Amino acid sequence: MNIIEIKALRKDYALGNTIVPALRGVDLAVREGDFMSIIGPSGSGKTTLLNVIGCIDFATAGSVAVGGRDITSLSDRQITDIRLNKIGFIFQTFNLIPVLNIIENIEFPLLLMKKSAAEARKRADKLIEEVGLKEYAVHRPAELSGGQRQRVAIARALVTNPDIVLADEPTANLDSVTGASILELMRQMNEIEKTTFIFSTHDAAVLKYARRIVKIKDGLIEQDPVAA
Amino acid sequence: MKLVLTIAGRNILRHKGKSAVIGVILFTGAFLMTVGNGVISGMAAGIEKNIIGGFMGDLVLISDAQKSDNILLDMMGTAIEPVTSYKKIKEILAAQSYVRNFLPVGKNLAMVLDENSATPGFAYLIGVDFAEYRKMFPDNFAVIEGSYPARGERAVLFPDFARGEFYNFYNIWFVPEGGGVVKENLSKEALAAADTLPVSSSVVMLGMSSGINSTSDIRFPIRGIVRYRALNKIFGHFCLVDIESYRECLGYFTAADMAAQVPKEEKKLLGLEGADLDAMFGGEEMLVSGYKAAPRKIIAEKIAVKNSEDGVYNAVFIKLADGAAYKDAVARLNKALAEAGTGVHAITWNKASGPMGSMALIIKSALFLFVTLLFCVAVIIIVNTLTMSALERASEIGMMRAIGAHKTFIAGMFLGETAILSSLFGVGGILAGIAAVRVIPLLHITTANDMLQLLYGGNYFNPLLSLPGVALTVLQLLVVTIIAALYPMRVAGNITPLDAISRD
Repeated sequence: MNIIEIKALRKDYALGNTIVPALRGVDLAVREGDFMSIIGPSGSGKTTLLNVIGCIDFATAGSVAVGGRDITSLSDRQITDIRLNKIGFIFQTFNLIPVLNIIENIEFPLLLMKKSAAEARKRADKLIEEVGLKEYAVHRPAELSGGQRQRVAIARALVTNPDIVLADEPTANLDSVTGASILELMRQMNEIEKTTFIFSTHDAAVLKYARRIVKIKDGLIEQDPVAA
Repeated sequence: MKLVLTIAGRNILRHKGKSAVIGVILFTGAFLMTVGNGVISGMAAGIEKNIIGGFMGDLVLISDAQKSDNILLDMMGTAIEPVTSYKKIKEILAAQSYVRNFLPVGKNLAMVLDENSATPGFAYLIGVDFAEYRKMFPDNFAVIEGSYPARGERAVLFPDFARGEFYNFYNIWFVPEGGGVVKENLSKEALAAADTLPVSSSVVMLGMSSGINSTSDIRFPIRGIVRYRALNKIFGHFCLVDIESYRECLGYFTAADMAAQVPKEEKKLLGLEGADLDAMFGGEEMLVSGYKAAPRKIIAEKIAVKNSEDGVYNAVFIKLADGAAYKDAVARLNKALAEAGTGVHAITWNKASGPMGSMALIIKSALFLFVTLLFCVAVIIIVNTLTMSALERASEIGMMRAIGAHKTFIAGMFLGETAILSSLFGVGGILAGIAAVRVIPLLHITTANDMLQLLYGGNYFNPLLSLPGVALTVLQLLVVTIIAALYPMRVAGNITPLDAISRD
């Protein structure tokens, strides 16, 4: 079953009077439980594609369905609810909340979902253990290394049991060893939680972890083994 | 809510500098608002106590012919129109349930004459029945020398402030009849010449009136020297005189005139002004031995005392019952007075007190404007600081939005930050303000400035805080908090997840 279906997706940016096309008619289908990488050079459109799938940016034309629901014509409130309930995000720069400690950062999305404090803490405890940071539970993000922060981000992305986790260059700010451990962790989580992972990268070393690799260039899908 | 407040509270601690700036503004604003409200309340209470309760009451009845409402402190000394229907007015006032007390008075300007000086001085006269005056205003002044006149006694109660002024003008120090110089009451200038101080226990005053009346110069025996308990520099211009002497001085019909049924104007026409008609037909020496008739003058004065309300007045001071509304009372009273054809109408004390009433309103308005300005400055600074804070945290806020925080959550976070700061620093400011308002009266801060005395509400700076006053400050703080948070909330709420990514 396809968790994501994209048809004829276009995304244009206006730079003054000039229209710059970032995506020029992308068709893509992602199966549930996939562990997929989008690769391509800088400016190819991979981040834009992830942003549109993650309801962070809006399509200029075409359709995007997440979990069978077209997201191109929803209100801000509905879009926010989809981001909260269906999608987890892992950012290149980790983006943790600096004033919350690690366990609070992980349970934050659950509290936004109005889960009880006890229920949120129980689920966050499980995730922090899975990412191996139990002893850092009450530390602030600033007290952790980059790799540790990205682990926290992974735990936070998974805490709501989302259908999809989107990771934009998750290893870009990490050294190769730490980056490899993060990808290994993401793959483990994919297997344990059965969550669909889509991550973008231009690092060739990362590709060995992906089960499916989609190549994108100049706003168009250049190579997709599934489509082929 | 707990999550919002947790993040808001920790953000305050994280951005200590900005929080301190907002906190100091809120503290200062709340402090000044509290003290400002205290000053306004104190002034209102002081005015009520000192002017309404101690000088002229809530309402004043004046003649319909009176052109200006300002009958109390007209600096030009314009004559006040006479009121000739007091007996009728009295009946109407007595029938009004919302009227607690009332006092008919004469009020006009008089020249103070001195045989050694060609230039006259001036004094405001208030002609009253001394006994009735004391009932209306029982404790508005203290008799510091001499005594309070008996009912019907012809005398003047001279204010010590005016005595000092007249000493500087005439070089005469007024003392009560039978009294001497009291050194501790001497003005600085008089004290310097204490050993050779020329004194007088009477004062000659010539009424200043208009129309057909002929005024007279009357020598008033000084019965006492008085000092007003509050606003002495303002009220101290007014000499209290007995109503009959006042009428004679101003050339009005006296009660004795009314009793004799010979109007003064007619006496004048007959060329008999000042003549003792009885004396033309015989004196006491003509009476048979052993038979003593009361002298004509004593009889007339006894009649005058008994029927003093028959003569002319200029105004009636009215105190309203507790809780009576001015607007309603004025409307009802004017209707009754008009229906009875009394030729007078009621006005409120602040209209009747002219610049003094207006000044109180101006000071109140100025303080209100000051507090409002303070609000605006506080709001602008807080809005700027919070907006800067929102923009600096765009990445963090955008990330929160990306992982599912609604706009309302982000807005709530900013409102929470402002609310926490308001609660801590604002309440601190209010408490400090309350403490200041309590401490200030203990310092007995005085002023020699007339207008400042109005602001003080009396001789001492006496700000006063009531529960509604504190509630008003809390409400003002709440309004500031909400207004100050609105724009930053909007800015923060409009930060998109894309902003978070594009700023990385």
